Amino acid sequence: MRISMPDGSRKEIAQPEASIEEILRSLGISPEEVIVAKNGRIVPEDETAGGSDDLKIVRFVHGG
Amino acid sequence: MTKDEDAGRYARQILLFGKEGQETLKHSSVFIAGAGGLGSAIAFYMAGAGFGRIRIVDCDVVESSNLNRQILHAQADLGRHKALSAYDALAGINPDIEVEAVVERISEENVDDLLQDCDMIMDGMDSFPSRYLLNRAALKRAIPLFHGAISGYQGQATTIIPGRTACLSCLFPHAPPPATAPAIGSTCGIIGSIQVTEAIKYVTGKGSLLENRLLLWDGLESRLEEVSYEPSPSCRECRAGRKKSKLKIS
Repeated sequence: MRISMPDGSRKEIAQPEASIEEILRSLGISPEEVIVAKNGRIVPEDETAGGSDDLKIVRFVHGG
Repeated sequence: MTKDEDAGRYARQILLFGKEGQETLKHSSVFIAGAGGLGSAIAFYMAGAGFGRIRIVDCDVVESSNLNRQILHAQADLGRHKALSAYDALAGINPDIEVEAVVERISEENVDDLLQDCDMIMDGMDSFPSRYLLNRAALKRAIPLFHGAISGYQGQATTIIPGRTACLSCLFPHAPPPATAPAIGSTCGIIGSIQVTEAIKYVTGKGSLLENRLLLWDGLESRLEEVSYEPSPSCRECRAGRKKSKLKIS
């Protein structure tokens, strides 16, 4: 699975199917601070990902 | 177009959407939530474009730490209410539009009154609880919400159209932890300009909107990306809206 991290760096990891929330926690990222796009589409935390999926982890911003 | 000077002022954009488009802008009434970094950029360009009525709401006063990015306000405005400073700046840019400045904190209690007769909501807020409030109001009134947010070199924008797109709570089901966001004026300018471009396109019926698309700006890498999203079956706001609609019908 290819992962684009919030800082723009990229990782490629062997990941059995798991929930987005579990994947985030394994990467040390709090699910509250990010949204995740799987193969280009934002998905909820309970959706699963693995195998050859592309994940983009976005630290969304809140300032104005 | 009723005045020759209007035709002159708007000549370059009439090339884009015609006098009819300009007339539609003139008859549009916009609500700008916040006169800070984003709100400043939004208000400047909406006034310049000739949106006929602008209601801008902010409860804060101008502080020196605002002046790096909040271009509605100048050194002489320190200590003044931002809404009043905004009024002066916007009236100076375009005296032919109607500007209403409201010194209030937007809340559940006053949002309905504040949005009276407004056709769209421009998000210039600095927190997600405030944005959820705008999202609920947009859903309730069935008017678009043009979302934007920034932090440092990063920004995001999307366009919420009730009945046509997912809502803001579908996209962001939880607020990020509160924190003071770093900010530079140019990021506010980029994101606020995108929001205004969306509003102009919406009003004049041109182009493709950021419907169910989240635009992500990374100023450090000079990169613009987008990700798509869709209505969430578990959204607390949309689902609540559908339930209310059903109740009304039955």
